[in-house]
Amino acid sequence: MREVTTGNGKILRAYGLEGSGYSLPAEQVGGDFFEFIFCDERTVFAAIGDVMGKGFHAARLMEIIRHMLRECIRINPHPLEVVRRLNKVGGYELRKYGAFATLCLLGYDGTAGRLTCVNAGHHPPLLLSDGKVKVARGRGVALGLLEDYLGSGVEEFFLAAGDAVVLYTDGLVEACGPGEQRYGQERLKEIVRLQYGADADRMKQNILSDLETFTRGFSQKDDVTLVVMKVTGKAGERGED
Amino acid sequence: MKGVKIRVRQKKGMAILEVEGELDFSNVEQLQQEIQRRPEEVVEIDLQGLRFIDSSGAGMLLSQARHLYRQGRTLRIVRIPDFIREDLEVIGFFRVLEVLETNPNA
Repeated sequence: MREVTTGNGKILRAYGLEGSGYSLPAEQVGGDFFEFIFCDERTVFAAIGDVMGKGFHAARLMEIIRHMLRECIRINPHPLEVVRRLNKVGGYELRKYGAFATLCLLGYDGTAGRLTCVNAGHHPPLLLSDGKVKVARGRGVALGLLEDYLGSGVEEFFLAAGDAVVLYTDGLVEACGPGEQRYGQERLKEIVRLQYGADADRMKQNILSDLETFTRGFSQKDDVTLVVMKVTGKAGERGED
Repeated sequence: MKGVKIRVRQKKGMAILEVEGELDFSNVEQLQQEIQRRPEEVVEIDLQGLRFIDSSGAGMLLSQARHLYRQGRTLRIVRIPDFIREDLEVIGFFRVLEVLETNPNA
């Protein structure tokens, strides 16, 4: 398994999966985050989130949530339990500051090719398979808004070689260009659909280029974060890991 | 318009706060103070003129709703533009309001 960090980006290769993520804060620092977390010899987690607010305050809370997320995975790696526990312990911290955080947690079992998804108030991931894009349906309340996590539970997908998953924050789909029109989920779905066959890092770069074309260099109000994960081998095959 | 403009109207024991513009972390306190200033049993927030709301705005509305429900009062959010409703739905905003209405300590 390998994880490479470069500036605002990270590239992961593990368990027949490649991942590429990028986060650009609207200010010097922001509340968006993404993580690849190795769990055991067959499972890796990918998480994306957004802590309410801007600047250093949001960034500080974001670091607390990130740390707690790793700890919750260590205690019990069942994705729903991770989110429930994180909502308890992290929610307490968030509420102290009148804040909340969105989170989408994906667990990928490279032996079974199974992807599990739990959502806490975050934009739903997109799944690209056979040139078609599907929007994950799981929903849930953001962390810190209620004492007990409330959501539709765990959603499960079986991924084949070549399938990809795209995670993003609201700053991407709500980005605006010179007009008031937003980039939007429909445009994102279309550019994702066109990426069938590209590797994860190329997909990420192409989506960000399309966003730049749309916004025409206009500075954005919110942080923008994008993560692409792609299955590179059949379930159970470790490929070049 | 940049920033937020709040117009207050009163109607039979109810305050109506019409919010126009962009509600974000830089001006969220303005609306929060206006809500806290109202003595009426029902405070209605009319969002028809709202063009943008960020997470600070959404969080403030939920914390004020919780606060009013605890006092046995009501915060009602009405005439929400579709694109803003969609953003609020993602974070579970309306589900939280439903829960708080029956249990403000949830």
